[in-house]
Amino acid sequence: MEAALVVDGVTKRYGAFTAVDDLSFTVRTGKILGFLGPNGAGKTTTVRMLLGLISPTAGQVSVLGETDPAKVRDRIGFLPEERGLYRRMTPVNAIAFLASLKGLPSAEGRRRARALLQSQDLGEFMNRPIRSLSKGMAQKVQLLSALVHEPDLVILDEPFSGLDPANQQALEDLIRGLARRGATVIFSTHVMQHAERLCDQVVLMARGRKVFDGTVETARAAAPRTLLLEGRFDASALDEMPGVAELTAATIEDGAIRVTAALKKGASSQDALRDAFARGLDILRFELREPHLHDAFLVLTGEEVSDQ
Amino acid sequence: MIRLLRIARREYLAYVRTFGFWLSLLLLPVGLSTIVIAPMAMMRSSPTPRVAVVDFTGDNLPAIVGRAIAQRGDGDKPRGIEVDAPGRPFASAADASARLKPFLQGDRTLPGGGRLDAVVIIRPAGDTVAIDFWSRNVAAGNLEHVISDAVTSEVRRARLRTMGLDPGALDRVEALSPVVSDFSPKAAAGKVAFKDRLPGLAGLGMGMLLWMVVLTGAGMLLNSVMEEKTSRILEVLLSSASVPQIMGGKILGVAAVTGTILAFWMTIATLLIALTSPGVVGDLVGVFASHGRWAYFALYFAGGYLMFATLYVTMGAFCETSREAQTLMGPMMIVMSVPLLFMSQALQHPDAPLLRTLTWVPLFTPFMMAARAASDPPLWEILATGAMMFAITGFELWVAVPAFKSGALATGRFDPRLFFASLTRRRAP
Repeated sequence: MEAALVVDGVTKRYGAFTAVDDLSFTVRTGKILGFLGPNGAGKTTTVRMLLGLISPTAGQVSVLGETDPAKVRDRIGFLPEERGLYRRMTPVNAIAFLASLKGLPSAEGRRRARALLQSQDLGEFMNRPIRSLSKGMAQKVQLLSALVHEPDLVILDEPFSGLDPANQQALEDLIRGLARRGATVIFSTHVMQHAERLCDQVVLMARGRKVFDGTVETARAAAPRTLLLEGRFDASALDEMPGVAELTAATIEDGAIRVTAALKKGASSQDALRDAFARGLDILRFELREPHLHDAFLVLTGEEVSDQ
Repeated sequence: MIRLLRIARREYLAYVRTFGFWLSLLLLPVGLSTIVIAPMAMMRSSPTPRVAVVDFTGDNLPAIVGRAIAQRGDGDKPRGIEVDAPGRPFASAADASARLKPFLQGDRTLPGGGRLDAVVIIRPAGDTVAIDFWSRNVAAGNLEHVISDAVTSEVRRARLRTMGLDPGALDRVEALSPVVSDFSPKAAAGKVAFKDRLPGLAGLGMGMLLWMVVLTGAGMLLNSVMEEKTSRILEVLLSSASVPQIMGGKILGVAAVTGTILAFWMTIATLLIALTSPGVVGDLVGVFASHGRWAYFALYFAGGYLMFATLYVTMGAFCETSREAQTLMGPMMIVMSVPLLFMSQALQHPDAPLLRTLTWVPLFTPFMMAARAASDPPLWEILATGAMMFAITGFELWVAVPAFKSGALATGRFDPRLFFASLTRRRAP
């Protein structure tokens, strides 16, 4: 499977400030890439370089086989982080206009715009001015305008921000649908759950540098698994438990305590459980928790990021 | 090219669909028509004033006054109707004015009904006569002059008769005046006619028209780009089209909007001129057709519009709010007011050294050259100023592309340092 996108040693500086530092990654065609990191990590700058809106200070990008993204802009769909549409235009006209800039004939653009709006339950609003639509509806219209020309590469900058849970779920389904059609999808986000559910590949960024590039599973493996024990026992009894570290205890109810502990790499949760029974501890709850992408990010970068 | 045209089309339709566009389109013709038609309508609808003449000279002056005001004036109506002064005879001018005042105030009406509008009291005053003109309307000066002229003429004739002279001699003397003719080697027939002054007027008109187009278009372009930047549409446009396509589309779209408005206004104006002075339209066509003036005006119109439009589009990309746009428009308006001051001077002194010097200031070139069209500037001057104007526009475009992109992707307040840095930095951001 060929690469839809190759970022090779890309650096972007603004004077003394380095926004993106020696970034490299590759995305294969038809895959979903999550571009993750906190605000200011360099995600939007990278997205703009992928679109050819700004030029790298060093390094180069190859988008759909072209080193000049402008040459393939008709095959790219883009949803910017900060949304906006012509407020006085109708959804049909706005989508058809942006489709026409991607090379679609006007009539075809209008036909597709109507079909897309109908499919997203916006049929009755298609001829009303955009300013009369709700924020969620307007965001949908803008998303549709980025997809109307059926692009091979879809770049979505913080697509989930501002959407309610139902629309977030709908967007996740839409992104999966795009990948099924064969499109490559790149989306930036600082909310890890979406990436965890959607992505074939994630690139984690912090302070302009890449800190991880790989699958979600590989990323999660970077963080320790966690043991959760609840019961009526003395927390110090767990100090000698095999394979656990970083114990934190808290009193819950009826004299019971909750202990959270990191499971060391290679350690078995079964060994810990056996040890607890061997000591005769009054265990009410024993749970092994797999790490989330958020935990992996903390381990990899030492930075906090939104966990919503 | 097709993207440029699509952006231009959207820009054009966005303006054409607004209420403001139709207001702009109709306001000037409606306003001008109102200015022309309203006084005529008022004249036609207002009643003919009734004038009472009280004569203490015994020289039959009321008949003279009656004939003078019976002549048709504006609106093809008599200037006034002479009526008998109610309550005469009067003992004196003071008695007449005192007793007729209630009629002018509307407290009393004329014996046959209707109101009295003016009273003319003519009384001896040494060798001549005095006229006391009482009127319901203090601004009724026109009627007063007509009466004054008629009485003056009659008094002078009477004096000539008493001197034993022919009163007709007065008319013959007054008719004497020198025959003045204007000649100029630039006039088609040697003798200067209105037709020969038309090129100067056409040049001034084209200069003013360009000034209006630049001013109107500048506001539209600045606001359009600013709105798209603020609403983050510009970033989407930049991912779909190149900067020259976006800038070109906007400039072309706004040019089409202002062109539509001006074409409509000029059509109305041409129709009005054709209705009132049919010959002038032909003369105007002749002015534009001769000496390649249509190409001359087209050169400076297109070049001037492009030069300013490029500048305003770039400035718009750096503005987030109307206030920021206004801070940029302010200095530009001061600069723009300079050619406005000097263009009318070109009508009388098209080759004045100061005007010729101002022609070489790039921002003034299109206006000054348009206004100086009547002097038929030499070909080298046309070529040199044209080349300079397009070179400046080309330079503007060269620096505007990265500046536009830089401004469009930047966020926050207008930063003059960023603006000038991007203007001088060729490399794309």
